[in-house]
Amino acid sequence: MAGDDGWAADGRAGDGRAGDGRAGDAQVGVPGAVDGRAGDASAGDDWAAGGEFGVEAYGVTRSFGPVQALGGLDITVPYGQVTALVGPNGAGKTTLLLILATLLKPDSGTVRIAGHDALMYPARARDALGWMPDTFGVYDQLTVDEYLAFFADAYELPKDEAPRRIRALLSLVHLEDKLGQPVHALSRGQKQRLGLARALVHRPRVLLLDEPASGLDPRSRIELRDLLRSLAADGVAVLVSSHILSELEEIADRVVLVDRGRTAGDHAMADLAGAAARARWRVRSLDPDGLAAALAAALDGRTGLEPAADLPGTVEVGPLTEAEAAGLLAELVARKVPVCGLAPAGSALESAYLAMTESRR
Amino acid sequence: MTTRGAGLVARQEIRTRLRTGRWKTLLAVWFVIVNGLGLLFRFALEAGGTSDFGSEGVPMFGGVLLGVLVLTLLVTPALSGQSINGDRERGTLAALQVTRLTPGDIALGKFAAAWGTGLLTLLLTLPCVLWPVLEGAVGAGRAAVVLAVMALLIGVVCAVSLAWSALVARSVTSVLLSYVTVFALLVGTPLLFLIGLPLTAEHRRSGTYEDTVDHSERVWWLLAPNPVVVLADAAPRLPKRRIVVDDQVYERAPESDPLGDISREVRDARRGPYNISSSGEPDGASVWPYGLLFDLALGAGALRLTAARLRTPLYRVPRGVRVA
Repeated sequence: MAGDDGWAADGRAGDGRAGDGRAGDAQVGVPGAVDGRAGDASAGDDWAAGGEFGVEAYGVTRSFGPVQALGGLDITVPYGQVTALVGPNGAGKTTLLLILATLLKPDSGTVRIAGHDALMYPARARDALGWMPDTFGVYDQLTVDEYLAFFADAYELPKDEAPRRIRALLSLVHLEDKLGQPVHALSRGQKQRLGLARALVHRPRVLLLDEPASGLDPRSRIELRDLLRSLAADGVAVLVSSHILSELEEIADRVVLVDRGRTAGDHAMADLAGAAARARWRVRSLDPDGLAAALAAALDGRTGLEPAADLPGTVEVGPLTEAEAAGLLAELVARKVPVCGLAPAGSALESAYLAMTESRR
Repeated sequence: MTTRGAGLVARQEIRTRLRTGRWKTLLAVWFVIVNGLGLLFRFALEAGGTSDFGSEGVPMFGGVLLGVLVLTLLVTPALSGQSINGDRERGTLAALQVTRLTPGDIALGKFAAAWGTGLLTLLLTLPCVLWPVLEGAVGAGRAAVVLAVMALLIGVVCAVSLAWSALVARSVTSVLLSYVTVFALLVGTPLLFLIGLPLTAEHRRSGTYEDTVDHSERVWWLLAPNPVVVLADAAPRLPKRRIVVDDQVYERAPESDPLGDISREVRDARRGPYNISSSGEPDGASVWPYGLLFDLALGAGALRLTAARLRTPLYRVPRGVRVA
């Protein structure tokens, strides 16, 4: 990462942020402190009232003919944090992101992007927001830097700043070696990264990403995660929709669960993943029958703790907190069950997600 | 809307266009076909010896221009007929719409790129169009007017094709509709005129004898939007030739002038059967201003519609259209 260029050009270091800004401690984004853009982004309308949220949307409804895609959804995305938007297919995630990106009008509700009413002043909202759709095309005939230069022009970046900005962006998304190469020669994952660089051209304070990790190889995913974390650390409000829950857990500070067009939950990741969080646990034993008997005895009297056999020799129990799991292990050992494995099955986010989608079946 | 934004979009369009496909080959083929046909036409005229005064330039100019007009109008819908829905299908339009570019920038830029390409195809036909001018058979003024009208008509077709591509979700459909529009202008208008003639005709009875008089002055305006009519009627008339027969001096229009012939036909149609002026003035009032105005209004309306269709946030999402 170009430490002396790019984000550093406006006083931010683009390196060393990755991974260290986990939940809880990265929530220091002070909107006005990001850089000097606060003044030029707004014509002084209601910027100050924008407060701590890059995105504020309340009571957003939207129907497509008889199909209601959004039925009164509320979401806020604070600066300096990565907020994950999670929900099953058809929950309305993409519709919501299109509305936030000022491309689609909701039937009702209020949408504010960086303090600007996105419905009344879409142009002001656009200046503050970067958006990457789930599927998009690139101009195959251009070279990588021509592509970004075009969007730099479209965002009216100063001519003398554009080349520097483009180089910084390319190194930010690890495409610096593709400078001058045609876009059609890029792989799917590289195009995805180029799309992300495109969304960042004008240094948006709000970043909306729809399924950004789809099509990325594991290495690119980790780099994407680090990039989003460093952007959040720089004070950007990031909203990411994704299906890959395990990954969101590492990226996100907050999770907004969406189901059938409504907000089904809004959690800080720290609450979901902390000591008080409950998850299902997998217990593995050399003596499956003994384990089953001991578990039945140990869980007797406690409600909601159903052993669920799936793999041979392995039993799933829960949801349990970490303390409860430790207690259960002690009890099993005391009953002389040869336990050879105890681990959380799936993540807390997954549990929350499954609990939310349970009602659908 | 700014010229900067429109220019940016236009440059982008032209650049991507130049790098896709074999534009140079296509243009070379176009050049050879059009000029080859013009040259063959010329040889045919000389071999046939149809011209009275030994000048084949006049019929060549008219014939070549009408041919070039029809050919360019047939090529033009391909230039912008999938400009917008093609971008939607490829998923590149929405990224433009969230920038500072306004709907007007995008519409005008794409139009300018298409029109520019259309003018380039017109430019390539110049050798055989200008031959009669260099020969002295046709005045430079006539050539200039005719080329200017042709350029405007190409722009109109570009704008209409662009509007179709903004209105219709599938690019195949919009290109087809663009061709249908060109066909309607070229063939549909005379058809309507011919249908309109008997419908507006006057039936007179004198005793047992029934007579039908066509009143072309009631339906002449159906012909006006036709590009061929506009072009032919807008072309300045050739100077009349003096013919001396038995010490009498007659003035007559040059023969074998396709543009002049069409022009006289439509002006006669506008005048109708009963309004032949006694002063010997053979011409009716001109038709082309109405036609050209109609066509330009059509093009301007199409551009406005295109810009309106690009406006976001979008409320009504047409069926099959991807927002992003």
